[in-house]
Amino acid sequence: MAVTYLVWQSPYATNQLLTRDQPVPFSHAHHVGDLGIDCRMCHTGVEKAAFAGVPSTHICMTCHSQLWTNAAMLAPVRKSYATGQPIRWRRVNRVPDYVFFDHSIHIAKGVGCSTCHGPVQNMALMRAQEPLTMGWCLQCHRHPERYVRPKDRVFDMAWQPPPDQRSEGARLVKAYRIDAARLTDCSTCHR
Amino acid sequence: MSVAPDIERRWIAPSIESREQIDAIIAAPILAPRHTWRWWLTLAVSGGLTLLMIVTVTWLFGHGIGIFGNNTTIVWGFPIANYVWWLGIGHAGTLISALLLLTRQKWRASLNRFAETMTLFAASMAGLFPIFHLGRPYYLYWIIPYPNVQGLWPQWRSALVWDFWAVGTYITFSTLFWYVGLVPDLAMLRDRAARRGVRRLYGAFALGWRGSARHWEVYERFYRYMAALAVPLVVSVHSIVSLDFAASLEPGWADTIYPPYFVVGALYSGFAMVVVIAAVLRWACSFEAFITVQHFEAIGKVLLTASVIMGVSYATEWFWGWYGGERTERHLVTFLFTGPYAPLYYGQLLFNVLAPQLLWLPRFRQSILAVTVLSILINVGMWLERILIVWATLSRDYLPSAWRIFLPTFWDWALLAGSLGAFTFLFMIFARVLPALPAYELGKTWAEENGA
Amino acid sequence: MPPLTRRGPGLDRRLLLKLAAAAAAVSTTRCSPPDDEIIPYVDMPEGMVAGEPMRFATTLSLSGYGRGFIAIAVDGRPIKIEGNPRHPYSLGATDVFAEAEILSLYDPGRSSVVHHGEQIATWEDFAAGWEQAVGARPDDAASDAAVGLVTGRVVSPTTLGRIEALRRRFPALRQYRYEPVNDDMARAGAKLAFGRLVAAAPRWDEADVVLTLDADPLGHGPEQLHIARGFAARRGAEHRQQLHAVEPAWTLTGAAADFRLPLAPRQMGEVARAVARRLGLDLGDPVLSDPQRAFAERAAEALATAQGRALAMAGDGQPPELHALCHWINGRLHAPVDYLPPVDPVEAGHADELQALAEDLRAGRVAALVIVDANPVYDAPDALRMAEAVAAAPFSAHLGLYPDETAQHCQWRLPLSHPLESWGDARAADGTASLVQPLIRRLYDTRTCDEFLALLALSAVRDAYGLTRETWASWAGGDFATWWRTALHDGVIADSRAAPLALSPARPTGLPPPDAPHALTVVLSPDPGVWDGRFAANPWLQECPHPLTKQVWGNAVRLAPGDAARAGIADEDTVDLVVNGATLSGPAVVTEAQADGVVAVGWGQGRFSPAMPIAHGVGTRFVGLGARPFSRLLAGAEIKKSDRSIPFRSTQSHTRLSGRSEALFQLATLAELATSRPEREPAPPSMLGIPPRGDYAWAMVIDTDACIGCNACVVACQAENNVPIVGPEEISQGRDMHWLRVDVYARPQGGAMRTGFQPVPCMHCELAPCEPVCPVEASVHDHEGLNVQVYNRCIGTRFCEANCPYKVRRFNWFAYADGQAYGDFAPALKAQHNPDVSARGRGVMEKCNYCLQRISRARRAAEKEDRQVAEGEMVTACQAACPTRAIHFGDLNSETSDVSRLRRAPRHYRLLEELNTRPRTTYLKRLYVSDAAS
Repeated sequence: MAVTYLVWQSPYATNQLLTRDQPVPFSHAHHVGDLGIDCRMCHTGVEKAAFAGVPSTHICMTCHSQLWTNAAMLAPVRKSYATGQPIRWRRVNRVPDYVFFDHSIHIAKGVGCSTCHGPVQNMALMRAQEPLTMGWCLQCHRHPERYVRPKDRVFDMAWQPPPDQRSEGARLVKAYRIDAARLTDCSTCHR
Repeated sequence: MSVAPDIERRWIAPSIESREQIDAIIAAPILAPRHTWRWWLTLAVSGGLTLLMIVTVTWLFGHGIGIFGNNTTIVWGFPIANYVWWLGIGHAGTLISALLLLTRQKWRASLNRFAETMTLFAASMAGLFPIFHLGRPYYLYWIIPYPNVQGLWPQWRSALVWDFWAVGTYITFSTLFWYVGLVPDLAMLRDRAARRGVRRLYGAFALGWRGSARHWEVYERFYRYMAALAVPLVVSVHSIVSLDFAASLEPGWADTIYPPYFVVGALYSGFAMVVVIAAVLRWACSFEAFITVQHFEAIGKVLLTASVIMGVSYATEWFWGWYGGERTERHLVTFLFTGPYAPLYYGQLLFNVLAPQLLWLPRFRQSILAVTVLSILINVGMWLERILIVWATLSRDYLPSAWRIFLPTFWDWALLAGSLGAFTFLFMIFARVLPALPAYELGKTWAEENGA
Repeated sequence: MPPLTRRGPGLDRRLLLKLAAAAAAVSTTRCSPPDDEIIPYVDMPEGMVAGEPMRFATTLSLSGYGRGFIAIAVDGRPIKIEGNPRHPYSLGATDVFAEAEILSLYDPGRSSVVHHGEQIATWEDFAAGWEQAVGARPDDAASDAAVGLVTGRVVSPTTLGRIEALRRRFPALRQYRYEPVNDDMARAGAKLAFGRLVAAAPRWDEADVVLTLDADPLGHGPEQLHIARGFAARRGAEHRQQLHAVEPAWTLTGAAADFRLPLAPRQMGEVARAVARRLGLDLGDPVLSDPQRAFAERAAEALATAQGRALAMAGDGQPPELHALCHWINGRLHAPVDYLPPVDPVEAGHADELQALAEDLRAGRVAALVIVDANPVYDAPDALRMAEAVAAAPFSAHLGLYPDETAQHCQWRLPLSHPLESWGDARAADGTASLVQPLIRRLYDTRTCDEFLALLALSAVRDAYGLTRETWASWAGGDFATWWRTALHDGVIADSRAAPLALSPARPTGLPPPDAPHALTVVLSPDPGVWDGRFAANPWLQECPHPLTKQVWGNAVRLAPGDAARAGIADEDTVDLVVNGATLSGPAVVTEAQADGVVAVGWGQGRFSPAMPIAHGVGTRFVGLGARPFSRLLAGAEIKKSDRSIPFRSTQSHTRLSGRSEALFQLATLAELATSRPEREPAPPSMLGIPPRGDYAWAMVIDTDACIGCNACVVACQAENNVPIVGPEEISQGRDMHWLRVDVYARPQGGAMRTGFQPVPCMHCELAPCEPVCPVEASVHDHEGLNVQVYNRCIGTRFCEANCPYKVRRFNWFAYADGQAYGDFAPALKAQHNPDVSARGRGVMEKCNYCLQRISRARRAAEKEDRQVAEGEMVTACQAACPTRAIHFGDLNSETSDVSRLRRAPRHYRLLEELNTRPRTTYLKRLYVSDAAS
């Protein structure tokens, strides 16, 4: 039993830390880390909708019609823009179909990007930082005070929990009207 | 000490002259088998049915439990009834063995071995049905508390979870009890076996039993302790199973009478099945010397008692249905007597309560044929009881708009028949490789009876 | 149907795949999730947010009349129809037909390509074929070809314009316009009363007393939503409106009535006679038995004393004279009725038109036959031998959604665009115009009616968008862009309703005496599920139980107990119905309080086009009976027990529950209501802990006095929650999947049949019996009082349903969602599926969850704005659909909320309260004006 458990929660089974090849070797390290572009620039839905949104080719081209206009690695983007055929990205962070995860509400309640996605500003190629198992989700849904941060720091990739996170977090949980009891209702994520 | 040769008290036929002879007779089917056509025929039939079971289960897992007759309101059907029925049968073995041992009933000796075996096989059959009845059988293990990435546990308030543990414990325990009982006979076989391989095999399982006085001393004590443990366990198992129904809100289920009613019912069908098997073995393996008319008579008396208790239980149900005054409860009782299931219900009453009353008459008690036929009827009757418990309540509960009738499909019957076949098949194998009767205990009885 | 079922012996493809998959799963050690893709837009449409629903107003037609609705689309897929509060014939509600249009859109059985004979062809081929047929030289548009154009009721301005254009090109054009469900009698009656065609539009919300004579205003139809809302509004919590219904067989109106009299159709006039006499018009002595007379006089008295607030109406089966008399009565009563100029410009009667079509075809007067969205071969009675008539046409083309019976006999089979893929417009029964706008790009290369007619007329503009704008550009004037945007947004065109006419009805000179009593009269009425047959291919509607018999997948022959006994026929026997020579069979339903000598059957079933597998062979085509088309009454019928056996498939086996149902379906009279006092919330003790209340305590209260049993909620729930179709075989097995069922109750009381409907969703018990019995916590309570089912945790022990006293849970015996049990609707349903709701797999339990996805959406929206969900902000699908607003939903934590108030009302009760399950779904009693026998 212990063994199966170890296997189940191991990256081997959860695809944690797995880096996938992408049609375009997009580097968050460069765009976020070096250039400091805000997440919302490309992930337009993240504050409005369940789905954060992967940028349309159009968004890529807003910059890349000016910059690196003939870089080889951007060829697929230009092709997509020309032909109208979308770029087929490979999914990195995946939750099962019966989990109804909503980005916007987490943003609204002070859960930072880096809490789940890790230090993307250092990721040359995207990888899943966390296992995304139910047990993992519950760590926060049972004890939000350990993870919530001030709303103005949500998109701050460098944010680290302050030493007084316990008390500070508890204060924020109250301030943001986070009902910890309801967070562990099955109906919060499954329906 | 010597006992006056009193025919009433003799449980072993006088034709037996020595313990040696007993061992010989019992070892014969194993070490020197004479495969008659009867043996082959039974093996073929039961084997065929076992195949049918395998086919059914494959079909089941391929298509889904929609292949059964269940519907929106009658969500439980054959599998649940079969489960309860088989588990009931699985009760007699351990109980006979343990209870009769504690109460020092000599006639136990001729029955306990195959009764215990019956328990094992019946309980295994029972254990399969809850799995077959699941919508998603491959997630059965969610009932077990195991460390998991979802951070979830089973829901301990559910009778089904208690059920799982009860049956699990019961099967484990019965296996141990059965094996311990086997050890000396395995040694006997080891010593008698001619071929080296066979000797090795039995030797390994005999755990180096030499039958020294100390062995016997430890053995007897241990065996009695286990017996003492077994009795309450047996009672608990079916009580808990009954909670699958009693711990509900449904008319005809939510009754306090259920646990005792189920336990007695279980023993009833169990003893009946013992009779059937005893009759078969006696006929097939020529054990006439050990399984005598008196054994049948003794069990006949047990059956008679049980039948009366069942009668009382049924009457109690009617009474409370009426006395409780609850609209639905009352309607359910009338439905049993007048509804579309009425013929089955009358059959149940006839087989379980009326017919066995014949056993008051010594003429029937002392006829092996009569007792056997009655036992078969009782087993049918008990199955009808199980299926009606499931059907009647679900067919007629609170909202008339949801009333339905259950129509069994071919697969319902196939699975039932298949389980019977598999059960018999296993038994045939058992009778071929292990002593169907406990030689050493019979030896002891013989010795006591003949003052040797 | 057999070819569609996925069951039965044989190792079929599905099973093989499953086994293979299982084997694969076993063999692979790595249990990682599959590698899937994210495919973003190349250029995302403006204002769009991926995965979020968008709402568009559009119009759906029934029998030609438009009703405005809101269609919801997610990522460009229409998934749901909701009511449009702005449109007078929706008023925010929907009916079964509107809800089911979503499924029709994705129906794989739709016509998708142009067929010439059995050859697949193109639109260009057709255009060429057409020009050749009408013998026009390419350069010259005009032609004298005798073109016959068959349509349904056409009231769409654009389409009418197109027909005019076509007539300009073909001066010899003859249009044959007919609707199977029509108002011929009413129109003739209006002519008698007013000397001109007039449509009477009663203002139900102003009527205190209503008398219906063989009419079913609350029944299904293009005006149902409008009428039902008015009815409910007036009846209200105090039950102000009293309804006297005289009808041969049960209708929804009769079920809702306070006083109901079963009466042979031929005698309806007699009741009117009695009323007329009370109002001072003596048309002779009514021929009625004493109780009947008593009923008539009570009704007359009630009408007479409610001057200005009383209303009488006759049904489409009744003769013009009776309609005329009703007009006079209404005039006399100053009844709240508007007299509107008819929206349908065609003068001729529908039946006559169809007859004319048959004759002209047979006489060879039609050179080129063009049938637009009509199905004469099915609709016409066998006597007209329409099939061969159509086949005889030198040139024939059929434009339709399905390869229906008529298409089978036409040379050209042309695919019609679904309204949800079309531009266009329509008018409602009162003339209110609204636009039709597409929610999705056409799934196939189809044409709308307008585009098709434009093609025939060689018009300059050929696309529906252009044509529609062309129509309205002139009408709107001024700033067309703004006007157009407003019209599209509102889903209704401002002040387009016809202005009421000031008319006074003529005083009738007489009323023909009732014809002599004859053996049996067949009463035909459109089917509440498949209507006149046009929805027969829609499995949602086939599987939507008949409101009164609960029959699905078929139609029955409803008999009065007396007649049944005389013919030795029992419930569910198969009956042979013989009408002048023709014999048709169907399962019998013996119905209490149906007029003796009346046999009630439904239209619309018995479709026989082999190309429509879903509809083919379901039920019986009673519309084929009779000599004249669309006759609602057929005299001189016989019934006998049949030697055939047609299964009666229903979802509720016991509808007559005398003596057992008082506690379940509770009644009260106005008198009792006055004396009863509001109840306090009882809180009997319990050994199980009461779950704590969170920010919200959701609850539902259903007013059985307002419910008219129209089934809109049932289909709305099915559409919203991805509830699968199970098919006829499964229904026969006793398996159904509807999360919300409508139980029908009928019991004799006080000499009358007391009837009513009780919608039963999950009760969301505070002490839910299903929860403690689940071994894996798949059935759990949440902090808002919902009893939720966690599909992905369910292992399928079914203990929950076994222990549910209300039996509201539904189990996936097969992979219904994948079409395992019925049809291969999987692809269609995948497109229709609500992405906010899991599709349930094989072997799991499912049930109503108060539209959890909507609650969650509302809550998240509110929390993002840091506020509470407001009263009325959270609306369940069933509640949204309900035309009478019988379903109330809200938060019990707020003392002032609608539900809290209703739970304190004297009419309030809990189903099976004695079990102490403390249901969150509760009911209001059905009210009656008095205990007086109907």
